[in-house]
Amino acid sequence: MKGFVNRIIENSFIDGPGNRMAIFMQGCNMACLYCHNPETQRMCTLCKKCLEVCSTGALSIEEGRIKYDRKRCIGCDKCLEVCLNFSSPKYFEIESDELVKLILKNEIFLDGITFSGGECTLQTDFIIDVVKKVKNNSSLTAFIDTNGLINDENLNKLISCVDGFMLDVKAVDDYIHRALTGVSNELVLKNLNILAKTDLLYEVRYVLVEGYNDSIEEIKKLAELLKELNDYTRLVLIPFRPLGVKTHFRNMPSFNRVKYDIIFEEVYKILKERLIKKD
Amino acid sequence: MNVFEIISNTNIDYKEKKHLLAQAAENTLSYVNLSVKTEKHLKKGILCDIFEGHAPYRPRYILPDYEKYIEKGSEYLGIEPPKDMYEAVNALMIIYQYVPSITGYPVYVGQLDYILEKFIDTVSEKEARNLIKMLLINIEKTLPDAFVHMNIGPKETRAGRTILEMERELKKAVPNISLKYCKDETSPDFAKFAAEVALEIGKPYFVNHKEIKNILGENYGVASCYNTLKIGGGSYTLVRLNLKKAAQEAKDYKDFMDNVLPNVVDSLCEVINARAKFIVEEAKFFETSFLAREGLIDINNFTSMAGVFGLYECIELLTGLKLGHDEEATKYGEEILEKIKGVIDSIEGYGCFGTNGKIGLHAQSGIDSDIDVTAGVRIKIGNEPSIYDQVKTEGRLHRHFNTGVSDIYIFDKTAKQNIDGVIKIIDAAMKSGIKVFALNTSDSELIRITGYLVKRSDVEKYNRGEVIREDTVKLGAESIKNNKTLDRRVREIE
Repeated sequence: MKGFVNRIIENSFIDGPGNRMAIFMQGCNMACLYCHNPETQRMCTLCKKCLEVCSTGALSIEEGRIKYDRKRCIGCDKCLEVCLNFSSPKYFEIESDELVKLILKNEIFLDGITFSGGECTLQTDFIIDVVKKVKNNSSLTAFIDTNGLINDENLNKLISCVDGFMLDVKAVDDYIHRALTGVSNELVLKNLNILAKTDLLYEVRYVLVEGYNDSIEEIKKLAELLKELNDYTRLVLIPFRPLGVKTHFRNMPSFNRVKYDIIFEEVYKILKERLIKKD
Repeated sequence: MNVFEIISNTNIDYKEKKHLLAQAAENTLSYVNLSVKTEKHLKKGILCDIFEGHAPYRPRYILPDYEKYIEKGSEYLGIEPPKDMYEAVNALMIIYQYVPSITGYPVYVGQLDYILEKFIDTVSEKEARNLIKMLLINIEKTLPDAFVHMNIGPKETRAGRTILEMERELKKAVPNISLKYCKDETSPDFAKFAAEVALEIGKPYFVNHKEIKNILGENYGVASCYNTLKIGGGSYTLVRLNLKKAAQEAKDYKDFMDNVLPNVVDSLCEVINARAKFIVEEAKFFETSFLAREGLIDINNFTSMAGVFGLYECIELLTGLKLGHDEEATKYGEEILEKIKGVIDSIEGYGCFGTNGKIGLHAQSGIDSDIDVTAGVRIKIGNEPSIYDQVKTEGRLHRHFNTGVSDIYIFDKTAKQNIDGVIKIIDAAMKSGIKVFALNTSDSELIRITGYLVKRSDVEKYNRGEVIREDTVKLGAESIKNNKTLDRRVREIE
């Protein structure tokens, strides 16, 4: 079975517990204004804009799709800048067996693997295939980093197969959620409830965006909800940063640190040690 | 520098001048006797004695048995066996002033956690903390040299934890610290704490206790820059072989292996043995040192070290392959090291009783004046592959060394939030055969140069021409310029 992967980070300390290999899948079902890796959102439409700006000849057309030559690439990322489609010429198709081999090669260094994205659960069957094979051959754990927009079928498949979820909640208020992501959060909150009742919801992540979802009341609502749902899920408050952002949000400054600390203090009263600070 | 240049130099302080003047005096004698062939290799820079001097009168590294000293006291120093923590700390501070080395400062200050733990209940908890802090400050002020090295572990002790807590608070380059680490003996909690401290201040580094114990026995210490030697012993000398320069002498790989390498390694052993012999027979070190007389050192624990460096460039020159990136390159690396070891082991090491009569093999981690040549058997700075490939490649090379080999792994700041992940990598490195794992973060105020640390702010002061108390700051500042120390690949996390 094949999957579309944007990139693989062999050594990540921020995608779940311990040292993990993070696999960023291509394609997403949201379009967040503050997305930090917008090039993972859509599939290539072959508009060829990237070919025009590549100065080293790392990009070419072969068999009806863009071919990317890693050795020639100097990492200027101009191809990503000009892509109007929120895609990348660098993502690639990989056989699950090949990915499994890559993972197991470094097994002794790893606590596990994490699928991220994009929205990785859009390729649930591929993930399940990889995870089953990895688990048959190692004691590595598998985590899912998701925006929560998962249909019932895929969610159930994943729950029965992986070891943990990290769920992004973009906003608790549906109106704000729609403004930030383009979609309703109804399904996200439903899935939050389902996952919280399992022992798999390792972490909920919340990116603080000035003027959108940063009212203390809004965040307190989420904290109260988490407190009510279970006694273990951590909440990570992430301050917005313009790094990598492609929409008009790229002109927005980093989230104010003083404000962050005030919010943190308030929410800490509810969740105590379950609340995690982010630099 | 000539004598007048030393005396009139405004960049160095009185103590350093005295040290350099002693060296200048030593060098008025002719060099220890060598064959013409070997002299040529030294002149060409294929061999390098790291400016040890013409007529060595003390071993380069000495690791006194401080536990014995604390147990028995010293007649020469007029020190009775300490009865409480005050006396123990005082006794240690005194003996450090009497331990010779190549730098003039003791390169090994002992297994301080175990030594102090025995006295920790003789005072209150607060006093114990104050005393440990005072000892650390005293070491930093009176022995201002980042090669001064302390050992802790493998077992967790209250004293060991306090040492790390204090060091984290003090944030000084001196002393260097090694944690003897072993999953079976070091508690996970202590290991995590040590890693947390290391990410912040660049020390301690993690020493593969199991591997080194297998080679040298339980009674070993880590001194200066990653030198693993027997306690109560040391190393007469460290002479190093520049594998890059040696490779430039060869027609091809075969010529290198069959002719050049055996020839230069033979010379390497000749210099080492001549120097060791001079220390023992001409300078009569063991007959004059109270450390020997009182059994705090014993010639039976001593050895000499043959250092190698520039393996990366050597392989690249001879085969066109890049270590860490081409699997084949590692095989060549192993073959070269086996050859070196073979030649060394075919020659008697003068006075090398501590390592079965043979000279120890050491991966020399570079000096400030090295340009375009990589330390030890490391991968060229800036060309490091993924941390996994780096560890796997170097792990295979590390097993050839019995007196010290290491590498430095730089993490970005996200590592601080996930110590479990860092420990996982350290454990995997130990399993892969890495003998010494030094870690640092890219934004650390303390920069690890080769094996020692310097403060970023001190380097800036030195570059502005200010006189610095620590002699190693000069070395570090030059090294940063020449060796691209700050370009080490950061294990960056998105």
